[in-house]
Amino acid sequence: MISMKNKTSSVKGIIYFVLLSFSCIINAQEDLLDAINSIETDTEFNTLATFKATRISIGQSVITREKGVLEVTWQNRFWNTPDSVSTAFVADKVNVRFELAYGVTDRLTIGAGYGTGYTSVDAFAKYRLLYQKDTGKKFPISVTLFQSIAHREKNPGDFITRDLDFEEKLGFTTQLLIARKFSPNFSLQFSPTYFHREADKFLPEPDTNRFALGFGARYKISHHVSIVSEYYALLDSVNDPQSYGPFALGVNWEIASIQLQFNITNARNLVEDKFIGKTLQNFNFRNGNLHFGFQATYLFHFNKK
Amino acid sequence: MKKIILLFCFFSCVTWSQESSQFFDKQGKITFFSYTSVENIQASNNQVVSIFKPSTSDIVVRILMRAFVFEKALMQEHFNESYIETDIFPEATFVGKIIGFDINNDIQTKRFEGQFTLHGVTKNIRFNAKILKIGATYEISGTLEIPVRDYEIKIPMLLDPNIAEIISVNFNFQYDLYEK
Repeated sequence: MISMKNKTSSVKGIIYFVLLSFSCIINAQEDLLDAINSIETDTEFNTLATFKATRISIGQSVITREKGVLEVTWQNRFWNTPDSVSTAFVADKVNVRFELAYGVTDRLTIGAGYGTGYTSVDAFAKYRLLYQKDTGKKFPISVTLFQSIAHREKNPGDFITRDLDFEEKLGFTTQLLIARKFSPNFSLQFSPTYFHREADKFLPEPDTNRFALGFGARYKISHHVSIVSEYYALLDSVNDPQSYGPFALGVNWEIASIQLQFNITNARNLVEDKFIGKTLQNFNFRNGNLHFGFQATYLFHFNKK
Repeated sequence: MKKIILLFCFFSCVTWSQESSQFFDKQGKITFFSYTSVENIQASNNQVVSIFKPSTSDIVVRILMRAFVFEKALMQEHFNESYIETDIFPEATFVGKIIGFDINNDIQTKRFEGQFTLHGVTKNIRFNAKILKIGATYEISGTLEIPVRDYEIKIPMLLDPNIAEIISVNFNFQYDLYEK
């Protein structure tokens, strides 16, 4: 009876021993994993790629190019005239703009463009004020300042009868771009916009200082393809009943160093002050209103880390 | 009898934890290369965390994927956005053991076996690495090869020629005693 008791206790003991030593082994593994996860890395990263390109579709995005990156952009806008007979190849009309933009620093991008519509020359600067951060010291939004100046050689309309002076051909756009990447796929942007067009002083009811509010969104449907949409609401269109808010629906595709952007829109001009303030046709699918936009961007890296 | 065994267990555990000093490196270096005829891609990360426990020859590594720095900013964006998807899988980890590690040997090359998790996919991997004992510190360095396809990293057909099927990875860790 006694030996029986001893036997059970020694069996129990062995079980305890096995369990205990087993728990020690498990603890060792878990400890190591816990320990490594508790080591804090002092790294803080900006949220990447709120948008992939410096334009959402037709308008500017919060994105600035990294230091040493040269961006070469070719923009097209094709449309048909409402005439029933056309002899043109593919499309009746086309506006083209060629742009070079360079990342001076990660935050500052400067650029210039030449466009065939009204023969425009424009220059712009973009400065990234704030970066969204999802790790470390979190910050919910990205903010970028955008300033552009454009000069148009051709008269902007029939209401002007004389040749314009240099200053009168200028247009300015200031934008505060505010965006948030809500999920890896979805980003949203608000773009309060002020624009000043000298030539607008010749309008029947002159109003050279105007405001608009832009909305832009992108949804990624695959790693390299996203659907984008943009709309600019003119906040004071009373004085200019002829203008409509530009709307765009597009697809962006990026592969290696090339970004391709396709869209349908009612905006036929390519410089901010003009397409935001002077889109003279509303968005629909009629000839003269529907524009097909195509934009290709190639990125060169001059600053290799 | 029971008490003696329990006591033995207790002491064995205590001595175990006394012997089980851990070594860690917060600034481990990992560099990976993708060589193809079209393009050579290289990226490095100097903020890899690792803990090494000589007494049990356990080793764990934690790699923050966002900390990889590429030559070209755009490549870095693609790596994070499209290939590794660091929003969803911010880290890669290795949990493994050194097979036949001899605690008294100052220079040895041994086989490492364990589980490597990348892009949410866990695979058993094995590779050889050199372990140096320098005074009270350890250095572990070596090379291993990671087949991209194993980790469900999707590469668009157009870019297939630009990215190597097998990525070679160099690593170097300098361990100091880890005081809790």
